[in-house]
Formats: sequence, structure tokens, C-alpha cells
Amino acid sequence: MHAVVELQEVYKIYTLGVQKVIALNGVSLKVEEGEFIAIMGPSGSGKSTLLNMIGCLDKPTKGRVLIAGNDTSKLNDDELTRLRRDTIGFIFQQYNLIPTLTALENVELPMIFRGLNRNEREKRANELLEKVGLEREINRKPTELSGGQQQRVAIARALANNPTILLCDEPTGNLDTKSGELIMEILTNLNKEGVTVIVVTHDPAVSEFAQRIVKIRDGKILDKRGD
Amino acid sequence: MYFELAKRNLMRTKVRTILAIIGIVIGVMAISSIGIFGEGLKKTVLERFEDIANEVIITPSFSGGYSSIDKTIVSKIEKMPYLKSVIPLKNEGSLVYLKNKKTFTTIYSLDRAAITELFEVEKGSNRLSGSCVIGSNLAERMKIRVGNKVTIKEKEFTVAGILKEEGARFDINPNNAIIISEKDFTELFNKEDYSAIIAKVESLQDIEKFKDLVEKSINSRDKKVRVLELRSILERITEAFNQINLFLLAIAGVSLLVAGVSILNIMLMSTLERTKEIGVMRAVGASRHTILRIFLYEALILGVIGSVIGGFLSIFGGYFIELAILQSAKHLFSMATLYSILQGVFFGLITAVISGFYPAFKASKLEPIEALRYE
Ligand SMILES: Nc1ncnc2c1ncn2[C@@H]1O[C@H](COP(=O)(O)OP(=O)(O)O)[C@@H](O)[C@H]1O
Ligand SMILES: [Mg+2]
Repeated sequence: MHAVVELQEVYKIYTLGVQKVIALNGVSLKVEEGEFIAIMGPSGSGKSTLLNMIGCLDKPTKGRVLIAGNDTSKLNDDELTRLRRDTIGFIFQQYNLIPTLTALENVELPMIFRGLNRNEREKRANELLEKVGLEREINRKPTELSGGQQQRVAIARALANNPTILLCDEPTGNLDTKSGELIMEILTNLNKEGVTVIVVTHDPAVSEFAQRIVKIRDGKILDKRGD
Repeated sequence: MYFELAKRNLMRTKVRTILAIIGIVIGVMAISSIGIFGEGLKKTVLERFEDIANEVIITPSFSGGYSSIDKTIVSKIEKMPYLKSVIPLKNEGSLVYLKNKKTFTTIYSLDRAAITELFEVEKGSNRLSGSCVIGSNLAERMKIRVGNKVTIKEKEFTVAGILKEEGARFDINPNNAIIISEKDFTELFNKEDYSAIIAKVESLQDIEKFKDLVEKSINSRDKKVRVLELRSILERITEAFNQINLFLLAIAGVSLLVAGVSILNIMLMSTLERTKEIGVMRAVGASRHTILRIFLYEALILGVIGSVIGGFLSIFGGYFIELAILQSAKHLFSMATLYSILQGVFFGLITAVISGFYPAFKASKLEPIEALRYE
């Protein structure tokens, strides 16, 4: 096994006027391919910031981030976009579906950006929605779906381009226990199929699904078990 | 699909979209209708001069020291090619008596054929033996009727006919004049030479050749005559109208500018409202270029719909303006109208795209993380 995610001494420092907020304070972390890890910590500890670094949505103030062997500091915006599109899937706490698009079209979106043709897209989007148990909701708009259903559409969308890494920022944060458990089951099954899953949470029930727990506080990783 | 996305975003804020489209419709309508009207106006004016476009007026070269054109020159010109007709003309100012009134006016010498060619007789005939033909204004002013007698230099003439009022002309103005035969004219004024020659060319392309010929055969040693072509005057009129049209268009352009600003405004609002969505799209693999494209499509859709409707409505706009100002819309269905509409549509599209560009560019420049965090 080799590392699909590697952070080396990553700092993220926000400057607000004269005040400095150190969101990440020298984080080093390795995630092997096929792992299921949970990043845990209290609110404001830097979990989301860390996840956004891994997802190439944010750039470190200092340090290196390597994703699937690519040094992200050496990639330009288009290359980072392609990396996100083809190797990373995002699942957000607020689902973040596009409100004008149906469930099917939301799942198609990453494939549109990759340039797949309509037939390929629709076929795969249908398969994915079936996989998350939404074959009957394909033509609904996000507002016509429950929170749990929306999050399942979001998972299907995250899987559209067959990512190696799935990044989930509090995926069950807005859901009831039952829907949350369903989401975690789906993620576990995906991990069994070989997808590397990284979940950010402060919920111990969620972290139970993980093989490894990384604890973070004040921008620092506390426990490096299994590194 | 990007197009579809753009379309749905516009549908999301229907009222705003419709207002933006109305803005473009009005702008395009203003430009196209005014363009149509301007062309109609130009044509209406030029139409009055249409039949003199092939006319050339040969006058004595005053700067060369000539005040008249002698008979040999007239007969030389009469023998020249390229010409359809040659009308030598004499004129003189003279006192004219009618009953107990008198007036000073211009006397022209012309033959009957020339009268028929140049003017229209409204009352009576164009008979010139011992009689004369009178311009309409003069007849009205002096209350002259066909059959009355007028006296020019002690010689009495019967009024054989009265001409129809003529519009503005450059060659000869008969409205306040009296026309008599060349024989009578020579007898009265003892004038052998001509004051001008009005000639018509067979085809407009021959004008230059004719001028060259005149230069070679008449003006070679001494500049005796000048050739004035009415075509060049028409060209100058056309030019003046083109300038007027341009000015009108510039005024109409202001309304399109306003429409552009409104598109800029609603699209900036739209990018702001959709910041988070832009972030999501960036996260799932949309490049800056893709975001730019989606927003430009929105502007383009506004532009296309607004311009096409505006272009279509401008046919009616042009029709009503022409009817109101020119009293006739007979020039409506022409290439110029089509051109005006295309021009309006083109400017409408350009305005929409230019106005949409800044918001689209701004949207594409958003950092994914900033956009995602936006609430
Ligand atoms: N854009 C930003 N500007 C300033 N401070 C920020 C910004 N983003 C995050 N922070 C700060 O960084 C710290 C970590 O934030 P975050 O990673 O969101 O924490 P978590 O996800 O663990 O709740 C917090 O103190 C937060 O206020
Ligand atoms: Mg967070």
C-alpha cells in the first residue's frame, strides 16, 4: 500500500487585521490507499481546513500537500481542478446540490465537466443513484428530497468520476440518526470496494465506522496512531 | 448542458430576467427603428432628385473669364457621345407687365420638347409661338390665368400654359420664371450665346468619360466651361443624411447602454447570490473557463432573446415612425430595413455579451474555497 494523501508540516495561517489565526499548525499526515479514517476534534480545531487542503480547494501557507503522488504546490488552477474532478469526491455537511438541477443532473455534473457524452453520463448517473437507493427519485429537484436523500445524491455525485479519495465534511451533521447511519453504511461499502474515505466529524458514533481516528486540536494532530 | 444550466439559472429569477430582456428589446428597437426611419428619410429626400442623378449642367467658366457659352460649343456638345439629351438654355432678368401690375423675373428660352422633358404643364399647353409658359408661383402671385396677356419688353405674349410647382432643383428654377421660345428670346434680348446647357447622360458610368471629353475638346486650350454633375450633389446629400442617421443612432444607442448596465447589474447580483454554487461546481471539477462560459451563456441568452424580439418589433416601430413623420412607409420593405434590423440585433448581442463579461469573469476568478465558504 502507498500513501494517496500526504501532508508534510502544513500550516494555514489567516491574518485578520493584526490578529493571526493559526488554523493548521504544522500538520503531518499520511493516508494509505483504501483506508477509512476519521478526523475528529472540537469545533474550530481545523478539521475543515485540513480536509479542504486535502481536497485541493485551499492552499497551505507553508508545507506540502501530496495527492495521489502529485505535489499540489506545483500544479496550476486547471491542473488542480482536474485533480479534484478525477480523483477526489466531496461530500459536504449541507449537501450542496445545485438547486436548478434534478438528482440525475446533479450526479451528471462532474461528468459534464469531464466531457463525457450524454449517454455515458445518464447511464452512470442512473447506476449510481440506484446504488444509493434513489432510483425512484432521479427526476426530483433537491427541494423535493429529504436531507438524507439529498446527501445520498451528493454521494452519488461524489462518485461520478470514480474518485480514489472521498472527502466527507460532517456528512451526517444535518441528519437524524437513522439517515446518518444509512450514509455511513454506504460509505463503508464504498470503502470495501477500495475507495479511500476520509471523514471529518465530532460525532463518536460516526468515527466508529473508521479504521483509524486522527485527533486534532488547535490545528495540531494529537494522536498519530497507525502512522 | 452548460447552455441548459444557464437557461435554468435565468428561469430561477424570472422577473429579473424579463426586465433585462425588456431593456435589450427597447435598446435594439430604438436603434433599429431609428435606423429604418433614417434610411426611409434619406430615400424619401433622394427620391425627389432621382431623375436628375444622370444630369450634368454645363455652365460658362466664370473664373476662366467666360460669362456665356457660344453656339459652336453647344453644337460640339450636341455631337458628343454618352448623351441622351442636350438642352441649351438662355436666361435673362427682365421687367414683366401684367395688366396694371409689374414684376421683375427670370425669362428662360427653351423649346417645347425641353419643357416636356424638364417640367410638367399643369394648365393649358406648352405652345410657344407668340405665347409663353409661366411658373406656378409667379402665376399665383400675379393671379395669371391661361389666356391672359403678359408684356415683356413691349412685346405681348399670351399665356399658353402654367407649370406644375417644381421641387428644389439645381439646374433651373421655373417656379418664378417665364419661358419663351428661343426665337422670341433672341429678338427681345439680342442674345446669341447660351447661359447653360442641361444634358443627360445615357448611364451614370459615362459621366466621367463625358467630363474627360469636354476637357479635351472644349477646355483644352482655355477653360471655357465647367461641368457640374448633379450626382456629386446627390452624393453630398446622401453623406449629410448618413451623418444625421449616425447621430440619431448614437442617441438610440444610449438606451442600449442603459440595457447593458442593467445586464451588468443583474448578473453581478446573480454571481453574488450564486457564489456558493460556483464554489460547489469548482469543487466537483468545473474549471474557471467553465464558470466563465456558463455566465457568458446567460448574458448571451438575454442578448439573443432581447435582440431578436427587439429586431422584430422594430419593423413596427420603423413603420409607425415613417408613417408619422414621412406620411408614408413605402420604404419599409427594403434591404436597408433588413440591414438596420441586423445592425440593431448585432449591437444588442454585443452589448449583452460585453455587459455579461465582467460578472462572468469575476465569477470565474473566485477562489473555490472562498466561494464555498460564502453564505
Ligand atoms: N477564511 C477564514 N478566515 C479566518 N479564519 C478562518 C477562516 N477559515 C477558518 N478560519 C478559522 O480557522 C479555524 C479552524 O476552522 P475550521 O477548519 O473551519 O474548523 P472546524 O472545521 O474544525 O470547525 C477556526 O478558528 C476558524 O475560525
Ligand atoms: Mg468544519
